[in-house]
This record gives sequence, structure tokens and C-alpha cells, in this order.
Amino acid sequence: MQKLLLAVDRISTFVGQLFSWLIVALTFMISWEVFSRYALDNPHPWAFDVMSMMYGSLFMMAGAYTLSKNGHVRGDVLYGFFPPRLQAGLDLTLYILFFIPGVFALAWAGYNYAADSWVINEHSNITANGPPVYPFKTIIPIAGALLLAQGLVEIVRCIVCLQQGKWPSRGEDVEEVDVEKLKEMVHVKDEDIARLDAFVVHPQESQK
Amino acid sequence: MKKEVWFGLTIMAAVVLAAFVLLPSPSMMSNGHLGLLMLALVVVAIMLGFPTAFTLMGMGMVFAWIAYRSQNPGLAVQQTLDLMVQRTYSVMSNDVLISIPLFVFMGYLIERANLIEKLFKSMHLATARIPGSLAVATIITCAIFATATGIVGAVVTLMGLLALPAMLRAGYGVQLSAGAITAGGCLGILIPPSVMLIVYGATAGVSVVKLYAGAFFPGLMLAGLYIAYVIILAKLKPSLAPPMSAEERRVPLPAFAEIVSSTVSKRVLPGLMGAIKGKRNAAVPMRTLLNHLFIALLPALAVVLIMGLVFLKVTAPVEPEVPEGVVAMGSAALGTVEEETANAGGLQEPEPESGLQEPPSEEATQAPAASVAAETEAVKPGAPIVAEPVAASERVPAPASFWIGLVSCAVALALFYAMFSFARLEIFKMLLGSFFPLAIMILAVLGTIVFGLATPTEAAAMGSMGGLVLAAAYRRLNLGVLKESVYLTAKTSAMVCWLFVGSSIFSAAFALLGGQEIINTWVLSMDMTPVQFMILAQIVIFLLGWPLEWTEIIVIFMPIFIPLLPHFGIDPLFFGLLVALNLQTAFLSPPVAMAAFYLKGVSPPHVTLNQIFAGMLPFMAIQVFAIILLYQFPAIGLWLPQLLYK
Repeated sequence: MQKLLLAVDRISTFVGQLFSWLIVALTFMISWEVFSRYALDNPHPWAFDVMSMMYGSLFMMAGAYTLSKNGHVRGDVLYGFFPPRLQAGLDLTLYILFFIPGVFALAWAGYNYAADSWVINEHSNITANGPPVYPFKTIIPIAGALLLAQGLVEIVRCIVCLQQGKWPSRGEDVEEVDVEKLKEMVHVKDEDIARLDAFVVHPQESQK
Repeated sequence: MKKEVWFGLTIMAAVVLAAFVLLPSPSMMSNGHLGLLMLALVVVAIMLGFPTAFTLMGMGMVFAWIAYRSQNPGLAVQQTLDLMVQRTYSVMSNDVLISIPLFVFMGYLIERANLIEKLFKSMHLATARIPGSLAVATIITCAIFATATGIVGAVVTLMGLLALPAMLRAGYGVQLSAGAITAGGCLGILIPPSVMLIVYGATAGVSVVKLYAGAFFPGLMLAGLYIAYVIILAKLKPSLAPPMSAEERRVPLPAFAEIVSSTVSKRVLPGLMGAIKGKRNAAVPMRTLLNHLFIALLPALAVVLIMGLVFLKVTAPVEPEVPEGVVAMGSAALGTVEEETANAGGLQEPEPESGLQEPPSEEATQAPAASVAAETEAVKPGAPIVAEPVAASERVPAPASFWIGLVSCAVALALFYAMFSFARLEIFKMLLGSFFPLAIMILAVLGTIVFGLATPTEAAAMGSMGGLVLAAAYRRLNLGVLKESVYLTAKTSAMVCWLFVGSSIFSAAFALLGGQEIINTWVLSMDMTPVQFMILAQIVIFLLGWPLEWTEIIVIFMPIFIPLLPHFGIDPLFFGLLVALNLQTAFLSPPVAMAAFYLKGVSPPHVTLNQIFAGMLPFMAIQVFAIILLYQFPAIGLWLPQLLYK
């Protein structure tokens, strides 16, 4: 079971990480476009469309990846203090109540939306001769389907947690605030921090 | 159960109770009331801890379907699906949100360039003579680093590792140290380029450019107030922030500088010049001397460059179509845009140098003030024309204010060089390696946006590019670092943008149900004055800041407040600035302030959360004071946008 969960995790992660490299492409493309327009006096009419397509694909395809790493923002005022079983129970209910119908509807609607776009061979109308839009619209059902698969995995996780009383493990990934790495970066060791206690404790005692 | 749980449960119970009391019985419920019920439910659902984006999406879908069904049951499903996919697509092709991943990427790259250690050390030496210098240096470092990166958690953690030990060792009070770190670390949310302002701009339909121009001075003001508080506290109670001893203040000089300052002159310019001319110092290689002379002359060069460019701009021949000051992106004709780049592009970037390069000198403020004055004059058409005509026949004579500015710059420079000792040169060199790259980058990004040379998206991309260059320059750029930054960027952007997808479906459903009208009529029936409304709105937002994150507050609740603003004649831009300041307060309000938990994670075991919270309180009070100040003097925020975009 755990293997299947991690396999889906890996797919989401792989796709999300693949598309996340678009940010580098986006950076270079816009920088080049700015240079080309101001310095070479040669603006490209398709640049705007391509920019927004890159950005849109980037975040849509990273949705499942973010979910698999538990990275979507949640109101954790209460949640963080709940025992794991209660967390899992709440999550399970809300996954079934909100997530599955919502994401399924989105993927389904996106499928029709993109299909229409393919049929009429739709091109962007922001500029004349805009680039084709249908591949971009196809992102919606694909991202929706990935998210749905990841959502099902999360549901299984909730059930496992309900049975075992603790959350099953997730794949390792880079953290926004990785304290150990930051410590290493500025060359601070745990002993140094512990040694500081002397400075914290003494002033208080002298005040008493 | 813990008290936090009770705290949260109380809020949830209050929301449910309020919904029951305020709403009519089910038989009399209209669609609008359903909308309000939806709002109450979503607050409760968010607090249950499910990922907010999907809570909003699911709930928005259900209620949109209910709204459509009441009009035409046959089409309801199809209409709901259409609504969802169209809303999603509009977020995907949103031209404001596109700068979010770029700014986030820039932030992660800069964070990983690991400038903070150097930055803190050099700021610490540069501010050594000021009372409470370590705390002041902490706040400045936090402000700059947080502005450039925008990642509260990382900044607070890093400063907790660097500044907290330094302050504790120097005998600073635990509370003051904790307060300075947490308050400073949160400044990045307000000072542009911040992601919060982009999110607000995208939600409220306010131009991000104006928001950036508007938030700049309130952000600086807040940082200034923090610093002022620390300095005053250190003066009044030296036991909390003991001054540094002369021994700690001493900057070790390189060998050549020792020789020069002991044999020729203690001051840099006469010292170096004398050493170059005379043959007295055979021991010192010429190269070192010339290099240092060049570094020492940088401030002067910067001033000359700026004044030269200002002169060119002021005396530029009048053209009928030259845009006044700056025009919003895209509206200027191609030719004039180019000309503007040539002038203002150069003008922008060196400007910070003149203002910031003279930290040790008290007269430092004079120079930027003067050059700003000169620039202001340059922007205003028809400024008084007094001075003598200039060589080029078709050039306009420079106004008197330009010459005044030039003279005061020269005086400031002279004073600066009079005080420029070799110790200060060392500090200046350290700043050159840590402070100026960041400050110049931030100001270049902001400047190009605010002066309309580039759209926020373009500036953000250039900023990311700058982040790459910076990381490479500090030899931190490798595949591992790049990978981490790229993946983190994807996750953060997906988090914010999926939240937008959810909230735009949600707010569409809210509008369909007519919940907005009920709130509008209800608020208007209370017959409030604009001031009362403003205070009420700020209190509501402040209270929401406890259980919810700023992203949730902005994307869910701003669409409710914004339509009310025209009734009271409040500028959405001004409202946005107040909201930004207000949400900043939420980051420091116990018991949910994230900053405190990050700091606790890296502080010595005997520093308690309560001490950290207690340290944050005075800074929170300062924030409230700043909100009142901004409210009393809207010009703090609105002066710059009004000047630039009349």
C-alpha cells in the first residue's frame, strides 16, 4: 500500500518538478524580451501570450506536487493541535465533501473547454496572429486529473492514519525553512546555541 | 486541551453563533442570506485545517450550483462547470499574478546567496556608535534581507541564528532582542517588492505599480519607527542594550592602511594621495593604493554621475511630446520610451548610492534630500528658470534649485571625506560587498516599476536574473541550489495561485447569491461616517488576522470590502496600504504569530515563547501607531503615487 502511495507521489512530484523549471525559462525569456525591445528595438508580439502560458502551466501543474508535499496553505490555528486521528478524520470528510467533487468538476469542465478549443483551432486574440491557445487550455484537465489522483492518495493516507493513529510518511523534499540547512549555511552549531543559555538565565536570576 | 485549541474553538463558536443570530429562519432565507451563510461556513471550514484553496473551490461550486438552480434548474450544472473553468482560466492568464513566481524565485535565490552573514556584520560595524547598535543593525539587516527575499520564516530563523547570539552575548535583554528580530523579519511583507501587494492588487483591481509606489514610504517609516524605538530605549535603559566597548568597535586595518595612516594621514584621501605621490611608502604596492583610492572615490563618482544626469535631464530641450515624469507602461510612444530609458534608467540605479554610501556621516541625509529636490524640480514642468544659460544653444537653462542641490551635495561630500578614516574605509568596503548589491538591486527593481520603465512582471524577471547573478557572484550558484530554489518557487506559486483559483470561484458564487448586496445595504444602513467605517474595517481585518493567514484574508474578504469603498469615498489604493500595514500587525500578534515560532526553533532552550511574545508587543504597538499615523497623514503613502501618476 505504502508503495502505491509513494508511486503516485513520485509521479506528481516528477511532473511538478519538470514544469517548475519553467520559472527559469520564464526569467530568461522575459529578460531577453526586455533587452530585445529596449536595446534592439525588436519587440515580439507573441511574448505576452507565451509568458502567461508559461506561468499558467507552471502553477497548474505544480498543484498536485504541492499537495503531495502537503504544501497548500491551511488554517492551522486549531489543526496543528489536534491528535493525528482527528486530523485524518476531518481531512477525510472534507476531501470527500469538497475536494473530490470540486476537482472532478474542474477536470471535467476543463476537458470540455479544451476540446472546444481544439475543435475551433483557437488562437490567442490579444495580438494579431496570436499563438495557439488549445495546448494551454489542455493543461486544465491534465492538472485536474493529476490533482484528483493525488487527492485519492491523500484519502488513502487519511484512512491509513485513522487505522494506525499516525500519519504515513511522505517523500522527502526541499523545505522552505530547513533549519538544519540554514544553520550550516551560517556556520552555527547546536552546542553554540545551548551555550547561550548562560546569557539568558543569569540576567533573570539577578533580577529576582 | 491546550489553550490555543480553546481560543480557536471560541472563535469558531462565535462565528456559528453569529450566523444563527443574524440570519433569518430557513423559511424566510433568500439567496443573499445563503451567501452570508456560505461566508460563515467557509471561515469555520478553513479553521478546520483543510487546504484552503480546495475548501473554497468545493464550497464555491456547491453554492454556485444552488444559485444557478434557483434561476434555471435545467442549465445549473452546465453553468456551474462553465463558471469554474472560466474562473480558473482567468487566473491562469492573469497578467498581474504572473509576477508572483518571479518575485518568489528572486527571493529564494537571494536567500541562498548567503549574504546575510556579511550584511549583519557590516551593518553592525557601521552602526557601532549608535545606542542599541546591535538591535538597530538587526532591524536594518532584517528589513533589507526580508525585502529582497520576502520569506519571513527564513529571515527570522537566520537572524535568530546570527543576531540573537550576538545580542545575548553583548548583554541585551532577551525580550528586546527577540522583538527586534521578529519585527524586522516581518517588514518584508510590507516593503515592496512584496507578494502581498501583488495579491492585493490582483484582488482589488488596484495597479500594483501604484501600490508599490505607495507602500514604499510607509514601509520605510515603520522601519524608522522601530529603529527610533530601539535607540530611545537603549538611551533610557542602557542595561537592556549596553553600548559596545571601544575594543569591540575597533575595525582591524590591513597592513598597508596601518602604514599609510601612521606615516601620512589618518584620513583616506590625503593619506592615499600622499602615499601615491611621495616615495615614503615603498613597502606598499602601488596597485593596492590605486585600488583603494578608486573605492574611496566611488561616492564622489556616484554623486557626479547623478548630478550630471540630472543636469542633462533638467536642461533637456523641451519636446512637445515628452511625457511628464513618467507615464504608465505602454502608453508612451516607442521613441519617447527609449529616451526615457536613457535618462532615467541611469538616474535610477546610482541614486541609492549617494544616499546610502555615507552611513557614518551625519550629513548623509543632506545629499539624497538635495538630489531628490533637484529631481522633483526636474519632473515638474515650468519650474522657475533662473540660472545662467548653458553652452548648448537649444538646451534649457538649469533651474536654481539644481545649483543649490549641487552645492549641498558638494558640501556633504566634502564633510564626508573630511571624516573618512581608514577604519571607515574598511567598513565601507564591507558594505560594498553586502549592503549595496542588495540595496541597489531592490531599488533598481522598484525604480523601474515605479517610474514606469518596466511592468512589474518585467522588473520581477530582471530581479530574478539579478538574483541568479548575485548567487553566482557569491559562488553559491550550483545545480543543487538552483534546483531547490526552482522547486520551492513552484510550490509557493502553486499554493498562492491555486488559492486564487479557489477564491475566484468562491467569490463568483458569493456574488451570484447576492450576498454582497445584503452586506452593502446592511453597512450603509448603519449610516457610518467614513472614519467609522475605516476603523471598523481595520478592526475586522485585524481580528481576522488571528485565525487566518494574510493570503486568505485578502482573497476572501477584500472582495467584500472593496465594493463598499466608493460609498465612503475612500481610495482603494489608500485602503490597500492600511490593510497591508494592518496584516503586518497580524504577523506579530500572539498567540498565532508564526515569526515567534520560527525564532523559538533556533533560540536557546531557556528563551520561552512568552518572552518572545512579550518582546513583540512593543513593536506591535508601534505598528498600530504607524497605522494611525498613515491614517492621519495619508500623504505618507499617497504622495509618491500622486507625484508620479497624476
